[in-house]
Amino acid sequence: MGNREALQTLKDWINSWDKGVPRKRAAFLYGPPGVGKTLSVEALANDMNLELVEKNASDYRTAEAVKDFAGRASQYSTLFGGKRLILLDEMDGITGTADQGGVRAITEIVKSTQCPIVLVANDVYDPRFSTLRGYCLLVEFKKPAPYEVMRHLKRICVREGIEAEEKALRFIVEKNGGDVRSSVNDLQALAQGRDKLTHQDVAWLASRDRKEIIFDVLRSIFYSKSCLEAKRAVDAAEVDPDMLFEWIYENAPHQLRDPHDLVEAMDSLALADLYRGRVQSTQNWALLRYVLDFMTAGVMTSRERTRPEWIPFRFPERIRMLSGTKWERGMQSAIGMKIGRKCHVSSRVAVKGVLPYLRIIFENNPEMAAGLAKWLDLDEAMIEYLTGVQQ
Amino acid sequence: MDYEMWAEKYRPHSLDEMVNQTEIVERLKSFVEAKNVPHCIFAGPPGTGKTTAALCLAHDLYGSGYREHLMELNASDERGINVVRETVKTFARTRTVGEIPFKLLILDEADNMTGDAQQALRRTMERFTETARFILIANYSGKIIEPIQSRCAPFRFTSLSRENTINWLLTICQKEKVEVLEDGMEAILEISEGDLRRVTNTLQAAASMGKPIDAEAVYSVVGRANPTDVRRMIALALKGDFLGARERLREMILKYGVAGSDIIRQIHLEVFRLEIPEKWKIKLMETIGETDFRLVQGADEEVQLSALLAKLTEAGSSIRRGD
Repeated sequence: MGNREALQTLKDWINSWDKGVPRKRAAFLYGPPGVGKTLSVEALANDMNLELVEKNASDYRTAEAVKDFAGRASQYSTLFGGKRLILLDEMDGITGTADQGGVRAITEIVKSTQCPIVLVANDVYDPRFSTLRGYCLLVEFKKPAPYEVMRHLKRICVREGIEAEEKALRFIVEKNGGDVRSSVNDLQALAQGRDKLTHQDVAWLASRDRKEIIFDVLRSIFYSKSCLEAKRAVDAAEVDPDMLFEWIYENAPHQLRDPHDLVEAMDSLALADLYRGRVQSTQNWALLRYVLDFMTAGVMTSRERTRPEWIPFRFPERIRMLSGTKWERGMQSAIGMKIGRKCHVSSRVAVKGVLPYLRIIFENNPEMAAGLAKWLDLDEAMIEYLTGVQQ
Repeated sequence: MDYEMWAEKYRPHSLDEMVNQTEIVERLKSFVEAKNVPHCIFAGPPGTGKTTAALCLAHDLYGSGYREHLMELNASDERGINVVRETVKTFARTRTVGEIPFKLLILDEADNMTGDAQQALRRTMERFTETARFILIANYSGKIIEPIQSRCAPFRFTSLSRENTINWLLTICQKEKVEVLEDGMEAILEISEGDLRRVTNTLQAAASMGKPIDAEAVYSVVGRANPTDVRRMIALALKGDFLGARERLREMILKYGVAGSDIIRQIHLEVFRLEIPEKWKIKLMETIGETDFRLVQGADEEVQLSALLAKLTEAGSSIRRGD
């Protein structure tokens, strides 16, 4: 998928070994995670009938270890006279001083290898690779376009007999920002053992994985000095404004403890919320910018007396509670519907204006409760809920 | 023994039984006499008899079989343009048999309809005027679009007077053989705000405890929207524990489903009882009023109320410093 050019370059380079050892004896594949670097090498080796010698980070610990396997493999041809391809994966994994020798040893081997070596890393411009880089053919792997990932996921769904909503797949693709591997992993994790995948099934992923991005945005909101900076951080991150609002709303009182700053921050958030309501009721999305201004720049400028210190960010409790009480709210609105039918009110009004009283009656007076249950036509689960809950 | 919610059991069936809104009732009676009803808007606070008046009107107009000529829709449950278009159209289109040539369509909580839905409604009202008359019920007529308002006769319902409320309560107590002590009655009146549904529900829940109803029983009923809880929340905020106060608020709203409007009403009551300098009470009132207004506009209850709690936190710290 995608990266056709890169694949062709790699193929041409391997073929060039037939005409003698080329100037660059190694190819260095680089690019973001999950775009198919390793997979391409494995596929090529398979297609071109090469014997693949594969190693990864844990094998590079010391210079000796590298020489031991790669040295030997690179100097001798295969048992049956076929061609061999050495793959050194996860080069980013080489860390610390103990491995210094590792990169040097690899460089030495690359200089003198008698068979093609392919190196794989995310960041080829890491200073550790500066010497090594010079001896390698650099091949860049790019993120595939979202539609390409979509196509890929759809193909998998067809093969696995999963009926997936377009929206659900798009969500997975967007969340993983072009990382095909994690997209496929997500798809597998979510669709395993079922034949349908809806947007609802996947939406919960949002809060989990975007945490790091959100933390960056929060840092600039709570610690930056200029409005523009705070606003820019939000623009750049492309986080969902409602989700971001919850994060800021949860964290503002922890970050801005002085009562004066707290009032300013909460006022800004309340204003942001007010504009959010105006966007909703007028459907004029241009007003969204004020929502963003108040919740970012507004909160940022609230810091006057609280001294900046590092306070860890917290997950929005409200979101947790909302999902935790989802069942309960479902039950409440079901009872609300029953009440509404008898009492000429909407289920919303019933939940807030009648249900609390019903609850008290159910706790105190079994006889009256039984009568009302019959009158309202409540089922077992509803009765249990009204009697049992909230002791 | 058969039980119902008392608010339903004692809901008047005919305009003659209504204890309040005398002027409105008189006008409605004249409609019955003329056997003609214009489109109407019934606006006013909850529990003041809007839905009851509409149902009574239908009853008096069509007689005991009035259900056949009447459709009751609740905009909160059946929102959206399509419902209005389809359900209302189907109902409004067909002519009724009988003396009165039109049907009655009650649209409750009409102020919860989106602008688009209201536009659709306006066209429907116009098209089917001959065969159907609409009664729109709303807390705030301001949320009904102008073109609809101008086509409707407005009726403004007001909160029940103290006297009316007491009479109402005593009637029910007598029929249900419930005893209410004097402080119990006072407590109910204090929390009632002229909302008869709330009053009746409170009475029934307090009666379910099986003892003569005193103030304590009433307050423990209001419990789940509990003054002590609100009091506790205010105390935490004033003490400087904003996070603790927000936690309480969150619990009330999310776990117990207490309405934001109930919470703010109680904050309003509590603030005057607080032992803080008098001028602060008025200062706080400005914020409380603004918050209340925003809640009416449909803002996020927890966010707005916690901004108010932040104000209380700040007030607490200023007061301690002697400002």
